[in-house]
Amino acid sequence: MFTHSIRRRLVIGSVALTATALALAGCGRSSDSGDAGAQSTTTVSEGPATGNLTVWAMGTEGENLPKLMEQFKQANPGVNVTVTPIPWDAAHSKFTTAITANTLPDAAMVGTTWMGEFADLGALDPTPQGFDNSGFYPGALDTTKVGGTQYGVPWYVETRLVFYRKDLAAKAGFSTPPTDWDGLKAMAKAMKDKAGAKYGINLQPGGTGSWQTVMPFAWSAGANITGDDEKSFTFDTPEMQEGLKYYQSFFTDKLAGTDLPPNQTEAQFVNGQVPMFISGPWMAGSVAKAGGDKIKPNIGVFQLPKNKTATSFVGGSDFVVFKSSKNKDSAWKLVKWLSDAKTQASWFKMSSDLPAVKSAWQDPSIASDPLLPVFGKQLDDAKAPPAIVNWEQIAAQFDSEVEKMTKAGQSPADTAKAIQTKATQIGAGGS
Amino acid sequence: MTVVTERETRAVRRTPPPGRPRRKISRESAAAWILVLPFVLLFLAFTAGPVLGSLGMSFTDIKQRDLRTPFAVNGVGFGNYVKAFQDETFRKAAFNTAYFVVLGVPLTLVVALAAAVLLDRGVKRFQALFKVGYYLPVVTSIVAIAVIWRFVLAPDSGLLNTVLGWVGIDGPNWLASKTWAMPSLIAMAVWRNFGSAMIIFLAGLQGIPQSVEEAGQIDGAGSWQRFRYLIMPLLRPTILFTSVTTGIGYLQFFEEPFVMTQGGPLNSTISVSMYTYNQFGFGNYGLATAMAYILFVVIAVITFIQFRLLREK
Repeated sequence: MFTHSIRRRLVIGSVALTATALALAGCGRSSDSGDAGAQSTTTVSEGPATGNLTVWAMGTEGENLPKLMEQFKQANPGVNVTVTPIPWDAAHSKFTTAITANTLPDAAMVGTTWMGEFADLGALDPTPQGFDNSGFYPGALDTTKVGGTQYGVPWYVETRLVFYRKDLAAKAGFSTPPTDWDGLKAMAKAMKDKAGAKYGINLQPGGTGSWQTVMPFAWSAGANITGDDEKSFTFDTPEMQEGLKYYQSFFTDKLAGTDLPPNQTEAQFVNGQVPMFISGPWMAGSVAKAGGDKIKPNIGVFQLPKNKTATSFVGGSDFVVFKSSKNKDSAWKLVKWLSDAKTQASWFKMSSDLPAVKSAWQDPSIASDPLLPVFGKQLDDAKAPPAIVNWEQIAAQFDSEVEKMTKAGQSPADTAKAIQTKATQIGAGGS
Repeated sequence: MTVVTERETRAVRRTPPPGRPRRKISRESAAAWILVLPFVLLFLAFTAGPVLGSLGMSFTDIKQRDLRTPFAVNGVGFGNYVKAFQDETFRKAAFNTAYFVVLGVPLTLVVALAAAVLLDRGVKRFQALFKVGYYLPVVTSIVAIAVIWRFVLAPDSGLLNTVLGWVGIDGPNWLASKTWAMPSLIAMAVWRNFGSAMIIFLAGLQGIPQSVEEAGQIDGAGSWQRFRYLIMPLLRPTILFTSVTTGIGYLQFFEEPFVMTQGGPLNSTISVSMYTYNQFGFGNYGLATAMAYILFVVIAVITFIQFRLLREK
């Protein structure tokens, strides 16, 4: 049977890959492992970058990066940069395979939540001295730090805000956006009662990546994912329960739905059925695309509502240099150039990726945008999960427990306890 | 009947003709070995080796990060197997896979056989067209199929719920419902896979001589009786083949939940293959290979039972 043969190929393929990786692992340089955590003492030399550099980047970044590299080549005539675009779905396994087989590029864009894992595999080169870190958003800079060592630099950032329909908010009696938890709840309720919405707000009822929407509420209530050692978990705390309880209440009060079809967030925002959601800067563009010019003046954003704090999630990508690179000096020059405010501003114009360097936000292309400055403000209070090796696996458990909480009525206390138990079973990982 | 004669001929062929010198055979077989050697080497390197390697892996605590130092991992005996059975989600995945197979395989075979009989008896003129039509889903990319079925199963505007709405039924949100997600995927899998079984049934039906049916007619058997007592027994080898291949395919149920539901809602559609795949993704190679071997053993046992039940008596 056809389907059967595909599955067989998948299984055999992965097994063969593993065996090859096992065989190749023997050729790996032994000096690569075991010294993660060592602070780099090297510095980047003066003068322009030279030689060949290979760079990997994912998604649209991979497609747009060659354009930016033209500018880098103008400043460094002796360098030759080859950019390989990689699709996001395949990227994680491509990186881990390349790490085991020692076929990594010189530098690459890396998703922020992968940093811990890759550093633990001994693949990343610690950032040399002489990098000015004071210009980065602190939440973004934290994503580059694993066990006290900095690897690479933040390249671009994104953070989450509450999107809302301005016209419907006015109808619901809200002329200014709410600033605290009660206010957000009241607004969602008014959207439903007075502005004719089916649900007040679109919150993800569990499922892949829902932790990115849940954690901000928990963080705002004062919760943390791990203790200071970044090894033991603190999911089962009153603060975490408070965040979960608030999140669940939107579902129990029928202000958020568990039965919304996937990928319809934009359409339901445009037709007014669900006039609020929490997401990142890219949604402004896709809502405008779904709703046309008419919707544009009605798109509003506001910062996450405050409990103890008003903390949001910070995502994005970092730029790293791999330890196996034969041209590290030039690779770090490239990374340094990429984190320059001017480069970051011109990269924003090419890709609409938000700069990780604060001063780049003064560029008129960002400062004069109706929505983007709000993201900039939120970035001052935004967090990422600690760079622990097994984060992806723990996040999957988190998502599945949140699903039980929103769909099957599992209590916030039980949810917190279950996440804590499962996370402890999995462990933070690493040596 | 046919199988028996075939066996006899084969047995006859296998006996070497008397008086042939032994040396010549060994030279012949040497040539044969040289000719198959490239395949054997490739098979050993890329199939047998990895299979044995993964069997070994399933008894260790190997994780992705250990690939660089594969000899430093610890043996854990049957620890991974025990861990798999203790894992609530794995048990749920096993239940879901069983649910899918128990409902999906008979449904697929019945639909395939019905379609084959209709094609064999009825619309002779458009046979080629229907053959292609029914077979098309089998070779279509799962992504294209997912797009079609998302349209069919969409809660508000979907084809299925619109049709149900005409007769006054308020259809559920198929893929987001704990009760309906699995039946939806089964329907999708049956639609997608019955074509290949149908082609084989059709070949089997066309291999039955017309005279058998005529003899039944003369003896006064009705059309259902002829089908039940003449055609079905003669189709037995074909049924065995299709039930074994469909069964093996369905036990490895993967693509439908992977593209349609990601195993949700509340793990109601996660399958053993998909959960194994997830564990591979998390780098838990020891546990994942153990799960893969559990599935392998189950498939082997079920296939063995099918052979015992359906073999020619």
